Amino acid sequence: SLLSCYSLLIWCHVSIITLYSLTFLHHIRDIKDPEHPYSLEDLNVVNEDSVEINDELSHVRVTFTPTVEHCSMATIIGLCLRVKLMRSLPPRYKVDIRLTPGSHATEAAVNKQLSDKERVAAALENSNLLDIVEECLSPTLG
Amino acid sequence: MCFEIFSWILDHYPEAVKTMDDELLYWICQSIDEEKDPECLKLSFHVVEVVMKLFPDPSGFADQFASDLFEILSKYFPVYFTHGAGDNLGVTRDELSRALMHAFCASPYFEPFAIPLLLDKLSSSLPLAKLDSLKYLDNCIHCYGADRMVTHASAIWFKLKEVLFSLSSDQLLSSGSPKDAENNKNQIKSEAEHCLKTAVTYIHSPDRDIFINLILLDEDIVNNIHSVTTEEKSIDSSLQALGSVVSILAGSSTYLCTRVFQAHFKRLVDILGNSAGFDSQHLSIANGSSPAAINYGALYLSVQMLSSCREVAVASREGVPAEESWWLILEEKLDQIIHLFGKLLTIDCQPTQSAVRKECVSCAVKGLLILATIPEQCSLLLENAYEDILQMLTLVITSKYENAHFWRLSLKTLTSIGSSAVELHASKREMVYNRIVVDKIICLAESCDASMPLNLRLEACFEVGTASVNYMLRVARSLEETVIRNISQVNGSIECADYVACLIDCYSSRLLPWFFTSGGLNELALSFALRLWDEIGDLVTLDRIISEGLLESLMMGMKLLVGVCTEEQQSLIVQKACGIVSSMLSLPVKALTHHLLSVDELVPAHSVQDTALVCMLSSVIVGLWPQTPVPEMMMMINLFSVFLLNGHIPAAHALASIFNKYLQNSEFSHEIKLDKILDVILGGCFSIVLPSSNLKMSRSSAATSDNADFSDSLPGSIGSKIDILCGLAWIGKGLLMRGDEKVKEISMFLLKCLSSEASLASAAADAFHVMMGDSEVCLNKKFHARIKFLYKQRFFSILMPIFLSKIKETSELTTKLVIYRAFGHIISNAPVSAVITEAHQILLVMVDILAKLSVDNQDKDLVYSLLLVLSGMLMDEKGKECIVENIRIIISVLAQLVSYPHMMVVRETALQCFVAMSSFPHSKVYRMRPQVLQAAIKALDDKKRAVRQEAVRCRQTWQSSFA
Repeated sequence: SLLSCYSLLIWCHVSIITLYSLTFLHHIRDIKDPEHPYSLEDLNVVNEDSVEINDELSHVRVTFTPTVEHCSMATIIGLCLRVKLMRSLPPRYKVDIRLTPGSHATEAAVNKQLSDKERVAAALENSNLLDIVEECLSPTLG
Repeated sequence: MCFEIFSWILDHYPEAVKTMDDELLYWICQSIDEEKDPECLKLSFHVVEVVMKLFPDPSGFADQFASDLFEILSKYFPVYFTHGAGDNLGVTRDELSRALMHAFCASPYFEPFAIPLLLDKLSSSLPLAKLDSLKYLDNCIHCYGADRMVTHASAIWFKLKEVLFSLSSDQLLSSGSPKDAENNKNQIKSEAEHCLKTAVTYIHSPDRDIFINLILLDEDIVNNIHSVTTEEKSIDSSLQALGSVVSILAGSSTYLCTRVFQAHFKRLVDILGNSAGFDSQHLSIANGSSPAAINYGALYLSVQMLSSCREVAVASREGVPAEESWWLILEEKLDQIIHLFGKLLTIDCQPTQSAVRKECVSCAVKGLLILATIPEQCSLLLENAYEDILQMLTLVITSKYENAHFWRLSLKTLTSIGSSAVELHASKREMVYNRIVVDKIICLAESCDASMPLNLRLEACFEVGTASVNYMLRVARSLEETVIRNISQVNGSIECADYVACLIDCYSSRLLPWFFTSGGLNELALSFALRLWDEIGDLVTLDRIISEGLLESLMMGMKLLVGVCTEEQQSLIVQKACGIVSSMLSLPVKALTHHLLSVDELVPAHSVQDTALVCMLSSVIVGLWPQTPVPEMMMMINLFSVFLLNGHIPAAHALASIFNKYLQNSEFSHEIKLDKILDVILGGCFSIVLPSSNLKMSRSSAATSDNADFSDSLPGSIGSKIDILCGLAWIGKGLLMRGDEKVKEISMFLLKCLSSEASLASAAADAFHVMMGDSEVCLNKKFHARIKFLYKQRFFSILMPIFLSKIKETSELTTKLVIYRAFGHIISNAPVSAVITEAHQILLVMVDILAKLSVDNQDKDLVYSLLLVLSGMLMDEKGKECIVENIRIIISVLAQLVSYPHMMVVRETALQCFVAMSSFPHSKVYRMRPQVLQAAIKALDDKKRAVRQEAVRCRQTWQSSFA
């Protein structure tokens, strides 16, 4: 019975984590793709499994899959995700955004670019880029 | 344009046109051919319709031209209309389609061409085409006449069958979502059924068996019925289709009904009987553990048949043709089928049921309902069969309450059986119903201790009562009886008291409103109230009422009872109540009749009985109409004021009602000056509450002279003072609602109290809430209060400047807090539009109130309602201007409220206010941005999800609008 108790505990924990990740997914699912009028969830760029959370360490990792291997918008999508999470989460969270392994031609380069604080900040200084990001984040009517 | 002229000519000079020859028709053909503009098309369709109607003679041109014309027309069917909704053409697809339809139906000469086309289109895969052709077919059958249609009958039936049965295995092309497809399917289905119905009813032929033979002898149908009845099936669409075909066929006329019954009904019932017989054996062996095989298909079909035979019965009122009809067949099987249904009911009551079994049970219940609602005069439904049905259902109600869904279903069925008996004026049945159902159900409510939950019992009573006024009257009487009996019984346990309280509650909150809307409430409330008073008149009973805590519910019930009575009835009740109270009260009541209030009569300690009596009396007074004459007004007022001065709130309610309704009433004003008395009472109250106050307030001489004594002899505990303040507030509310000037006195006094000692002051602040708020207890529409239009707004604008100056004067923190609270009550209860007009004056104060009150947990409701007022201002143009002017301070207070710990909605609303503010002029708010963002970031980590979401929205809008 101890074992069952323990497994119940684990199950509870897992379900809580699932709940959390669903909440997080709620924040990012409606972001629009820069090239299409569809949301990231519609295009299956992010889904339920793409969000990993460790609440105690305040750490979030989002893994996303670009639609094609040579998608030139991968960095923009990553940037949108980062900005949206930055705006939606309490400041204590560290946000980590990555490509799904093997999903992109220049995976390492994009990952590096997305986790580089200075480059993200610099990108947000660029008004053209910022406009694109805002466009993607703007709430949809549906 | 040409078409327009032409159609006008045709409409107005048909005679002239008639004389023309085939030239005309030829030209019409020419001109319509290849026309594409929708508006022209619509007109041309109309032209064709009129022309074809003009040439009805068989040897005429119409016959020759019909084929040509129809060739042209048929190109347009089905109407495809590619223009979107945005194009402003003035013609919709529906109109066009309808015009074409009329053209199709214009002449019987189209018949040889139209019907094959339509039938052909029926097998189209487009839902729209299908739908249209069904509609056209329906109309054509009407227009062409039976003789012509007979030849097509078999073709029509085959096509319709195809449509109806193929829907189950649908291969419809539909572009939309599954919901659209579902919708289309339903539409097509109902259209097809409709069409079949017209076909069956309109196509008479000398040999009227044509359709019935077609359908009944159709192999598919026969096979279908066989397959359905041999294997156990859940409800699916082919079964539904089959059922609808059968019921349409049977429901069209008596003759058809008989044929259908002859063919199938007996066999179905036999099959059912077999399966159910097997069922019961099975159950007895396996103890109900395995789901018994009930032939659902057969059940469904037979219920469908029954429903159609009821339709036939209702349609042909005059009675059944005695021999050779469906009725004989039904009669033969009646006992068996009722028995079967009953068995289904009794078996299927385990709470764990599969969906199929649930369907089965509801089907069986439906069958019973149908059987019991077949009109009395045309069915020979034996009386004992009817009784059996009722008894079965009643048994379910009384014993099978574990399964709530099933229980409700049976209850509803019983109710509709009852109301149908009343509607059809079937007096015999009404009697039977009364004897079996109503009696049983009433018994349920009458016993105090039963295994069945009380709320279910009461629900059953009420539902059964709704069937008709007579039943409801019986229910009401039995409830009344039970209440009275239980009150007068000696063995008083707490359970019993709860039970009585429930009964009274049910009576006053369900039965009384029902009677009120549907009439029939004659002497009922009156007699109940009088009997209650009889009981109260007994000292022993009174004691028990008090000790069991029944007083509250009795008071509420009495108020409502009196509230629904007419004036004469009310006056009877008042007289009775007065008599009882004055005979039983330990006070020297007689002395109260003529004197005004004086010190000696202020007996400080009242017995418990006296208090209870006054409570009951006050609840009578509260419910009175303003026109009702009241005897011994003086005595009552004095009585109530004595109790008020001892801090008795119900007495205050009664006084407030009296002053609200009777002040300056011509009947009283000349003999007993009510306003004088009011002055005296107020004076008394004032001086007790604030003994030190110098007597500026109380102008009346009587009070002035007594005042010194009050302060000496009756120091009064703080508790009773607070109660008196509350009572004063009620009186104030009564005066306020009728718009009396005296309310000023009270409010000034309350204002004065605000600056006195702490607990008193806060009571005074709450008093303003009483005065401004709406109440269920007394002084509302239900209790016939006099309510002056816009009284809240008036009060608000009177008090506002006073409060503003007072706030400015006060410097001490605690006093200020109390004043803030009082003012907060007034602002939050005043209409928002009134507050907005004064926004420039009170906005800052309001924000300050919010800031100060947000410290304490107690004021959370007040904070919330104030915040709502603020957000109301944000929605208004004028309010917005004011807010923009003071944006800095408002935002800082709101930022404070974003982390308000006591109430979630406050945090949420504050964030919503921020979101609304982001639309303000950029130059005004951009400096506030960091502050807002910071508050929002803090709220991102909130415990409640709704707040976090709101915070994200807030942050998003502020971030993006200033990027």
